[in-house]
Amino acid sequence: MKKELIDILCCPTCKNNLTLQTEKEENGEILTGKFTCKKCKVSYPIEDGIPDLLPRT
Amino acid sequence: MDKKNIKKNVRDGYAKIATQKTSCCGSAKSCNGAPHTAIDISKRVGYTDEELNMVPQGANLGLGCGNPTALASLKKGEMVLDLGSGAGFDCFLAANKVGNTGKVIGVDMTPEMIDSARENAEKGGYKNVEFRLGEIENLPAADESVDVIISNCVINLSTDKKRVFDEAYRVLKPGGRIMVSDIVLLKELPDHIKNSVAAYVGCISGAIKKDVYLKTIKESGFHDIQVMEETVFPLELMANDSAAHEIIDKMNVTTQKLKNIENMVVSIKVKAVKTK
Repeated sequence: MKKELIDILCCPTCKNNLTLQTEKEENGEILTGKFTCKKCKVSYPIEDGIPDLLPRT
Repeated sequence: MDKKNIKKNVRDGYAKIATQKTSCCGSAKSCNGAPHTAIDISKRVGYTDEELNMVPQGANLGLGCGNPTALASLKKGEMVLDLGSGAGFDCFLAANKVGNTGKVIGVDMTPEMIDSARENAEKGGYKNVEFRLGEIENLPAADESVDVIISNCVINLSTDKKRVFDEAYRVLKPGGRIMVSDIVLLKELPDHIKNSVAAYVGCISGAIKKDVYLKTIKESGFHDIQVMEETVFPLELMANDSAAHEIIDKMNVTTQKLKNIENMVVSIKVKAVKTK
């Protein structure tokens, strides 16, 4: 996923902003990493460039 | 059937389609007789040859009821969200319309579909399309971040349609629009169909009555709600469909009974706007 698209993402459950931790990046594309919700602290992994934002509850 | 079970069945059903390319609502591979290919089906629901040739092979599973009207309305630079993006067919067509200054994001709850969509994006070299694993009832998109929401024959599969429209309203920018095509009913279905999991996955028993569907959109806050098109959902597509076969086989539904159902099931294209 592209970095600039983080702005339009949010936590699927509480709709708060997410913090990004990048593990692997290539040409501005985040390939591996994770999002963590600033409020409910739930983590959402990014694998193969695809964020998994399915609700965890 | 409880909601959790339905969701699991829908996800499993579409995972199977993503990996095996078998059929669901409108079939990618027919079970008997003359095949209804994804291309045949897509032409019947209104896509042009040009559109069909434009996207990478494998992106069109022939599952939708068709949303070319929504795609035609897209403008350069718009941010588009596709609810239930599947293998990415409508996303890629949308991407061509919004151009490099626009973006298309597809959300789907089936990992196998997202995988296949990503492969197709790579094949087609699309730079302005991205996919997210997520639920349409719990959209991972920020408030007022999207210009247009499109969705093609997906919302009928949700067990909480009100929530889907509430979420759509939340993520749209003021003045933004939702343009969806979906399956709705003109009359309530008989119980033996309504209670069938196969019929649910096949887009039939999850569908609600048209008036209720439109009322739900209104209750989420949308205005200027217009039904732009309404067509009978073609029986051949249903009858060539593995889900429909399961209904016929397991529940002793005669062809005549299936014909009666056809008149109750229609595909509609709806547009609605969020207040500025």
